Amino acid sequence: MSSLLCQFYVPMARKAHRAPRHMLFAFLAILFPITSLALLQHASLPSAYTEIFSNVTEQAGIVWRHFSGESPDRFLIETMGGGVAFLDFDADGLQDLFFVNGGETPRTKSLSSVRNALYRNIGNGKFEDVSAKAGVDRVEFYGMGVAVGDFDNDGFPDLYVSGFPSSALFHNNGNGTFTDVTARAGVKNAGRWAASAAWFDFDQDGYLDLVVTNYARFSFNEIKKCELNSVRSYCEQKSYPGMPLTLFRNNGNGTFMDVSEKSGVAKLVGRALGVVAIDVNDDGWPDLFVARDASPNLLLINKRNGTFEDSALEAELAYDENGVAKAGMGCDAGDINRDGKPDFVVTNFNDEYHSLFISTASLLYSNQTVASRLAAYTKAYVGWGTHFIDYDNDGNLDLLIVNGHINQVIESTRLDVKYQEPPLLLRNNGNGVLRDMGEQAGSVFQSGYRARGLAVGDFDNDGRMDAVFTRLDGTPVLLRNNVEQKHAWVGFELQGTKSNRDAIGAKITVEIGRRDMVRWIAGGASYLSSHDKRVIVGIPDDSTLTSLKTEIRWPSGTIQHVSMPKLKQYNKVVEPTGR
Amino acid sequence: MRTPPRPVLAGTLGRRLCVVALLFAPSFVLSMYQIRLHPSQNNEAEMHSAEGLALAKAGDLQSAEAELRKAVALAPHNTGFLDDLATVLAMEKKFEESTSYFQRALKIDSRDLVARRYVAANLWQMHRYAEARQNLRILLNSNPSDPQALLLLGMISENTRDYATAAKALASVPTVVRAQPESIAALARSYYHIGETEKARAWLNELQSHPAGVRAVLLGVQIADEMQDYKTAESLLSSVAPGDSDQTELRYQLALVKFHAEQFEESRQILQQLLDDGHNTTEVNRLLASCLEAQSRHEEAIHALQEAIQLDPGNEASYLDLASILLAQRKISPAIELAQRMAKAFPDSSHVFVSKGSIELGAGDFTDAINSFTRATQLEPTNSEATIGLARAQANAGMTDQAKATLDTAIRRFPEKAPFELQLGQMLLKEADTGNKGGEVRAEQLFNSAIAHDTKLAEAYYELGELTLRRGEAVKALIPLEKAAKLAPSSAKTHFALSRAYRRLGREQEAAKQAALFEKLKE
Repeated sequence: MSSLLCQFYVPMARKAHRAPRHMLFAFLAILFPITSLALLQHASLPSAYTEIFSNVTEQAGIVWRHFSGESPDRFLIETMGGGVAFLDFDADGLQDLFFVNGGETPRTKSLSSVRNALYRNIGNGKFEDVSAKAGVDRVEFYGMGVAVGDFDNDGFPDLYVSGFPSSALFHNNGNGTFTDVTARAGVKNAGRWAASAAWFDFDQDGYLDLVVTNYARFSFNEIKKCELNSVRSYCEQKSYPGMPLTLFRNNGNGTFMDVSEKSGVAKLVGRALGVVAIDVNDDGWPDLFVARDASPNLLLINKRNGTFEDSALEAELAYDENGVAKAGMGCDAGDINRDGKPDFVVTNFNDEYHSLFISTASLLYSNQTVASRLAAYTKAYVGWGTHFIDYDNDGNLDLLIVNGHINQVIESTRLDVKYQEPPLLLRNNGNGVLRDMGEQAGSVFQSGYRARGLAVGDFDNDGRMDAVFTRLDGTPVLLRNNVEQKHAWVGFELQGTKSNRDAIGAKITVEIGRRDMVRWIAGGASYLSSHDKRVIVGIPDDSTLTSLKTEIRWPSGTIQHVSMPKLKQYNKVVEPTGR
Repeated sequence: MRTPPRPVLAGTLGRRLCVVALLFAPSFVLSMYQIRLHPSQNNEAEMHSAEGLALAKAGDLQSAEAELRKAVALAPHNTGFLDDLATVLAMEKKFEESTSYFQRALKIDSRDLVARRYVAANLWQMHRYAEARQNLRILLNSNPSDPQALLLLGMISENTRDYATAAKALASVPTVVRAQPESIAALARSYYHIGETEKARAWLNELQSHPAGVRAVLLGVQIADEMQDYKTAESLLSSVAPGDSDQTELRYQLALVKFHAEQFEESRQILQQLLDDGHNTTEVNRLLASCLEAQSRHEEAIHALQEAIQLDPGNEASYLDLASILLAQRKISPAIELAQRMAKAFPDSSHVFVSKGSIELGAGDFTDAINSFTRATQLEPTNSEATIGLARAQANAGMTDQAKATLDTAIRRFPEKAPFELQLGQMLLKEADTGNKGGEVRAEQLFNSAIAHDTKLAEAYYELGELTLRRGEAVKALIPLEKAAKLAPSSAKTHFALSRAYRRLGREQEAAKQAALFEKLKE
């Protein structure tokens, strides 16, 4: 019944229009620093929806499947992919989707060719597969993740696809096609098993640089043998020696320079998986948090001279309370307790709990995993993608996490752990204590998956953050947010001029009454995935709202004040070009 | 890796203290008993007694016992016959029965000092130290310089770790001490324990010229090695003239001492030389494996142990050592394969099933681990390692209620409660993480109780400190954490917790120092 209602209401309530607005934006941006995107304004949610997130994959027309190459040899890489991105590749104002496939393994071949998928959002909740036409469907390596960033500031998002034993950079030509520029750009990351990647401008030259997390030394020629309950299973991660990060500096001319050694990140060897670029110490320079698997997490403070220094141990982000390096997979940063400082979430293995680190003082974090009840909710889960989202726009950042075990036979040895695990929607009560939304979250949250990548984005431009996650050897799951619109919201779409065009690294502070809400446009985040770069700020109580001051600190350091952005719509803000 | 082998006489650490006592039985103790002659009015009894004594002197103790029993039967109140029979029984190591006959004689004549001395010796042999001391007190009240009584008092004191008394008693009768290498060893060990190292060395050096020969020297080596006086141990070994003993044994002992002295490469070279010379024994290969493992040459260590197993497939210790290396190196598949082989080869060994369970636990095969630990507890119900392993496996398999019940039962049943209290506390704390806040209070009680039962249990201090730190009470947390660090200075996590506590207190330098220690120790 509910699905029938959903179908009935979709065209009425969730109508989104397509228009070649990128041209319009460019024109309006010259005239006004802030442009009200009235066309994207959305009607309120029908009350008929009974679940917060609905699985709309089928309605959306997404049929692509992930292929892991799961083989009798049990290569660990089979359990790790793949990534997903929200991006507006054709700059039409609608968030499209890109999925990264895995690949074949020596003894497991695919019946059809293994391909990535680019789904163009054609509005009305529908997507069309344009992968082949766009030229991003094939890569010559085992695919892992994706990072979206406009590296040449031409207004069209480019794609970095990570994988083993190389990765690829696809330049967006602005006409619906992409060109593989990996060789020219010098970002192949050859010989390495790359996982997540993040675009960020570490040297503040206005061009996005690229950090790539490399997981472990690996070869399809080296078969490791492990068993669980006398059944061949994947060997634990510790049997794979870790690798250092790769940092590529954007030369601004379409080429990159590998500055891993020079920047100091090459000496940090470990099994890195997740990465988020955010200004941790509020000095205006982007830092990096790296989630690592059975290797200590990293907090790389940008020394503003092209180098980074790891402060994770002192900041108490590297290990758990017992000094154990957990199996860090995905991560995100956001201000969960509304103190204006970024906190971190990291997904881990079952029994370790996913971690929540709250900023307490200057570069010192408090592990609030137990106090927030995150431990209770995640004890049995192996977590991957995660993202802070204010799904109900009440002003508090909530948590979305996807899970899934790696061992097929885990249930034969554990009563309390499942192979296929449900995602989690955890609501923040405003004090940093989380509540599992359980059934209210939707039927997807009651089902088990082998989920991996997770991206968030507002694909129907209704001001409610939607999400998509990938499944190992399955079709992805696109989740539409149906939450009742109790609160107003304000959306921002930033365009850098002196700063990188994506404004990655910008800090947005919205003052509502006496309370500030801080959001960042972070690089990376989650696991293998990339997100809608627009920012939505929920307004807890708009009835008494008399002012809504917004301050934007651009990556260039420019401070811009926006006096009264329009509510319930996205506000395009272009970075002032003057001093 | 299990504790590397110590010399044969030493046994395990827990039994080390009674080793000397056990060793003495054949020569030292028997030398204390002497057949005495007693006048009697019963001619027939007298005849049997005389016959018995003659047989005893000729070494036929069994026949002597039979004759003397006849004499005692005919004249049950004759203290002489009772003493003779008791003495022969003692020489046959029938200490319980011997003691009862001596005590019958003492009931008739409580002034019989020889009988009392023999009773004391018997009681010592049976580890009934308090009763032995009581008899010695009576003897020494009567004659404070009784050399045999002082010797016995010294030996008993050494056995009961009262090293000051032992040293004083034994040093007061140097002549009788010198008669036996074992009493010299006891005196030397006592001196080591009370910090009189030079005196200890001087006594051990006397063993170089002891009539007992190489046996005496090796006993000295054992004591010096045990007391970590490796220089003396090596010096004693080098004192043995090349022709006096089996050089293979001496070289092995030297390798052992060097291993204990952490001179792993030198030890390895000696052992390798022994192998090259054709002495390819299980013992040599096991010690070689220990050296290689200590040098992080894991693959070679594994190979040496495989060789040891091949040489003596019946030696359980080689399997257990190999299993522990494989597990530590996370070589799960071969470890599981070995565990299955071990279980087949030693189906009645609780140690083997504990090892198997540990491997399965490490591999995540929790249901198999439960079965193995259960089998180990069936084979040896008093094996605390097996019980703790079972509880851990149950907890890991999600059977937390069963795990708690296993530990609760163990706390009630085992006299050594601390390890179970610690384990249950840790389990409850884990449960508290996921919602059961009441568990945290009980966990704290259990950690305190564990400390009360075992004041040296570093892990319990750590848990208490970590829990306090988690509650935000950094100052209070420092006390148990510092105690834990003192008791277990190589525990990385304790230094990690200390660094967090100091950081919260703004003691940045100490925090950095502790963090550095953590980084150094964590692998």
